[in-house]
Amino acid sequence: MRRWLGWLWVAFLVSVPLWMTDLYYLHVLIITGIFIIASMSLNLLLGYTGQLNLGQVGFFGIGAYTSALISLGFELKLTDNFALAVDPHPAWLGFVFGVILSGFAGWVVGRISFKIRGAYFVIVTISFAEVMRLVALNWVSLTQGPMALNNIPPFTVDIPGVWEAELYGKVPNYYIVLAVGVVSYIVIRRLVRSRLGRAMIALKENEPLATSVGIDVTRYLVLAAVVSAAMAGAAGSLYAHYVRIIDPDVFLFIYTVTMVIMVITGGKGTLAGPIVGGLIFGVVPELLRDTTRPEVQWIIYGGLMIAIVFFLPNGIVPAVHQWWRSRVSRAGVAVPLSEAP
Amino acid sequence: MASLRKTRVALLAGGLAVAFMPGLARAADTIKIGVDEPLTGAVAASGNYVTNGAKIATDEINAKGGVLGKKLELVIEDNKSNPTEAASAAEKLIVRDKVPVLMGAWSSTYTLAVMPKLMEYKVPMVVETSSSDKITTSGNPYIFRTAPTNGMEAKAFSKEVGKFHIKKADFLVVNNDWGLGAAQAFSAMLKSHGVQTGIEQTMDANAQDLSAQLAKIKDSGADTLFVTTEVEQITLILKQAKSLGLKQRIITTGGSSSPDQLIQQDGDAANGTYHILFFAPWFPQKAENPKVAEDFVAAWKKRGYEFAGLTEGFRGHDGIETIAAAIKLAGKAEPEAIRKALWEVHVKGINGNISFVKEGPKGKESGQVVPQIYIVEIKGGKVTLPTL
Amino acid sequence: MVAGKQEQSRGSGFLDQLLQHVVNAVMLGSTYALLGIGLTMIFGIMGVVNFTHGELYAFGAYMMFLFAMVLKLNFFVALVFAVVLGVGLGALIELVLLRPLRGADIDTTMLVMIGAWIIMQNTEQLVWTGVAKSISTPFPEEPLVLGPVSISWLRIFVFVAAGLLIVGAQLLIHRTKLGKAMRATFQDRDTAALMGVSIGRIYTATFALGSGLAAAAGALLGPVFVAVPTMGDLAALKAFAIVILGGLGNFAGAALGGFILAFIEEMGASYISSGYRDAMGFLLIIVVLMIRPTGLFARAERIG
Repeated sequence: MRRWLGWLWVAFLVSVPLWMTDLYYLHVLIITGIFIIASMSLNLLLGYTGQLNLGQVGFFGIGAYTSALISLGFELKLTDNFALAVDPHPAWLGFVFGVILSGFAGWVVGRISFKIRGAYFVIVTISFAEVMRLVALNWVSLTQGPMALNNIPPFTVDIPGVWEAELYGKVPNYYIVLAVGVVSYIVIRRLVRSRLGRAMIALKENEPLATSVGIDVTRYLVLAAVVSAAMAGAAGSLYAHYVRIIDPDVFLFIYTVTMVIMVITGGKGTLAGPIVGGLIFGVVPELLRDTTRPEVQWIIYGGLMIAIVFFLPNGIVPAVHQWWRSRVSRAGVAVPLSEAP
Repeated sequence: MASLRKTRVALLAGGLAVAFMPGLARAADTIKIGVDEPLTGAVAASGNYVTNGAKIATDEINAKGGVLGKKLELVIEDNKSNPTEAASAAEKLIVRDKVPVLMGAWSSTYTLAVMPKLMEYKVPMVVETSSSDKITTSGNPYIFRTAPTNGMEAKAFSKEVGKFHIKKADFLVVNNDWGLGAAQAFSAMLKSHGVQTGIEQTMDANAQDLSAQLAKIKDSGADTLFVTTEVEQITLILKQAKSLGLKQRIITTGGSSSPDQLIQQDGDAANGTYHILFFAPWFPQKAENPKVAEDFVAAWKKRGYEFAGLTEGFRGHDGIETIAAAIKLAGKAEPEAIRKALWEVHVKGINGNISFVKEGPKGKESGQVVPQIYIVEIKGGKVTLPTL
Repeated sequence: MVAGKQEQSRGSGFLDQLLQHVVNAVMLGSTYALLGIGLTMIFGIMGVVNFTHGELYAFGAYMMFLFAMVLKLNFFVALVFAVVLGVGLGALIELVLLRPLRGADIDTTMLVMIGAWIIMQNTEQLVWTGVAKSISTPFPEEPLVLGPVSISWLRIFVFVAAGLLIVGAQLLIHRTKLGKAMRATFQDRDTAALMGVSIGRIYTATFALGSGLAAAAGALLGPVFVAVPTMGDLAALKAFAIVILGGLGNFAGAALGGFILAFIEEMGASYISSGYRDAMGFLLIIVVLMIRPTGLFARAERIG
């Protein structure tokens, strides 16, 4: 029943470019979509394993830079006589490498950080993202530092004889983002419902108990970290080839905060949470653009976050669930249990 | 679950609502000019000065009836002193606000970031501050620059090298296209005059503690230090140089040093420093168009803007005047027409007479102006012409 | 064209430079120590990851701007006001945001602190704009020159003031009843409560005190550099580095950690790369946590 609903929703999204002719709104949806993917990746760790990874943007940025560099080509001077020169390659290859490299980074961070928990974990992850930013800023020969990587090629289709195109436009990029988004959603859903997912949730609920039952805590956390990082890297790659310019500020903490707000407001640990949160925080700033200044908007978001933590600690989606359930039970209507998750 | 369906229906409704939002119509009876400047971030001071100058020009033009019978409207986007934001702001201005022409983006790095968007959407932009040579030599026919290049600055300064008796010079520059380009242009120029170049140090635009760089410069044995960055960072450099007991004579390049602000914030640490500027509001009579310069100074003062900002504010003013003249010549507020018209403008600007010459690869030239350059000295807490 | 290439070191030239760097590091270290002590108290006693710490630092600097530059009060009076207001703001944050959440898990408090951080920083940007604010001081501009080393009088004052505050805080923790109660709460909260310590009051006092120290650090460093709305971000992260270095709740560790961080930054910036100056703190965190997750000076304890 729900699966049918899910596909209806996807069909609706697929149809959007057909009737939304204002390119600017399409642009907003694309950027929102990219951030929703990143938020879903954060939700995997935050919502399902309970680990607050505040360095998520580090993986996003690694994906972005890797993908951009592969598609632009680069030269890395390793020693005085030896340089690693890479020719420009198609963007989709950059995407693949971006996902792999950020997944690897997730593994590294996971291995290091999961020896420590709680507050220290948070601090290490924040530091990781900051170090990445400073590396991107200073390793000018590779990343161009503050001068930014510009003119990043867009995604291209190269099936000789069938379809050759450079996907500059908003419509193709919308579909690419949508495709990656749907795949990401499915990946997370599968993961969460699998044995791995149940182990992660067990960890979150009661770690000592889970360990005593024989669940290898670190292994599952690291696995979650890898998937989470790889997904964030994918989002980063999409960003790089759509916006087509990347500078070290892509690693700024504020982007992690944006993702955190999306996940928390939507509802951490739920599948729909990051999507709802992402839509709200992707679209609302545009609606408010004419009336409120950016600083005031952020003050509102900060206040909203605090309010949600106080009053709706699980976020909007679960709150809506509960409200609906209470409405239904009061009215005495039988809710079809066949629709249980 | 039924509740999930409810959530999704709500989302659908929300999505549709959003889709129909574009109905927020705007007043259609103005000609829009996009302004892409850093209003926050590392170079916010300068970005705000330039924007203020632009506002003055807009109001003056509108007071006289506007252009082609319509009022000018500045649509200002903050690029947050960041190249990605600059590109994003340009995209917003072009796609969302549908501006036919832009002015921006202050720093060379931000302007370079915007340039691909101009090519993609075929919208011209007047570059009012950026000085990297790359901007007009990369084959972008939508660029029209009213600011001088690093090369022009160095050339103008070369006439003064003898007077300054420079034997060995160090460089302390911001680590982007502007700073690095300035160091390159000036050291090439100095070498051709037989001057030794000492060490070159770079700094991040956001860096506040420059003591590491200055300590090395202190020991270099040079007599002069060229500094290329924006006023907020120069303020820090002068303070820290003084407390380190730096002996080199400091000369700033780039024209974004707002000497009065330095006097105000650095006090004695600012004395004995020299600055290359493109407008000297203390001696408007020395400008190529004295009346225009004096009027601008008066208008600026009248609005209560800080006097220190004049050395940058004029850029915004000249930029808007140029754009307005082009729109008038074009006869319509459309990008391609404005672009063609820009080649024909002759504006009496505050810096000097503005008209564009071709620069760059054949067939895709950008427009470049050859502006006036001034050098001033801060002495005894006041700005004077150099006393050498 | 490359940053950081050092000049050929000639004997005494190298030593002179080194001496200058040591002096710079000591000055900076004293303010870092203030930042670290404040945070380690909050972190250690309350278990709160205080994301607003950096904003209190910025608040201190902006209050100096407000009192010394806008209202044109005496510099030292402004300093006192700035610190007092910092203490007040800290108490306010604790009462309004943290007290209702007492007992909640660490993630929840972290999120609330992040929300508060966003609100504070954007309020600052709204009020003061993004343009950097310079704060003038009554100290002479000519530096004090001792041989090869130049020190500005302002930095000497900063060092002395920070030192006094550190000593003051130390006295408060070890010689007063409040301090004793704080230490008891740190060692064993439940027992302290049983012994009659009002945990709520201690928490408020701790947060207020820690925030006051952060504001003091900002008020002292503000005039040395400039005040910008984002100045707190880097300061907060460095404070975390110091706390981790010195061990949670370890006063002396934090003080020492502050100086160590300043030294690493100064030497790293001068002899390795000035661009990576701010990275030193983060690299430090990562390295320390990998080797000794409890910090350099803490007793070995299970984390998490």
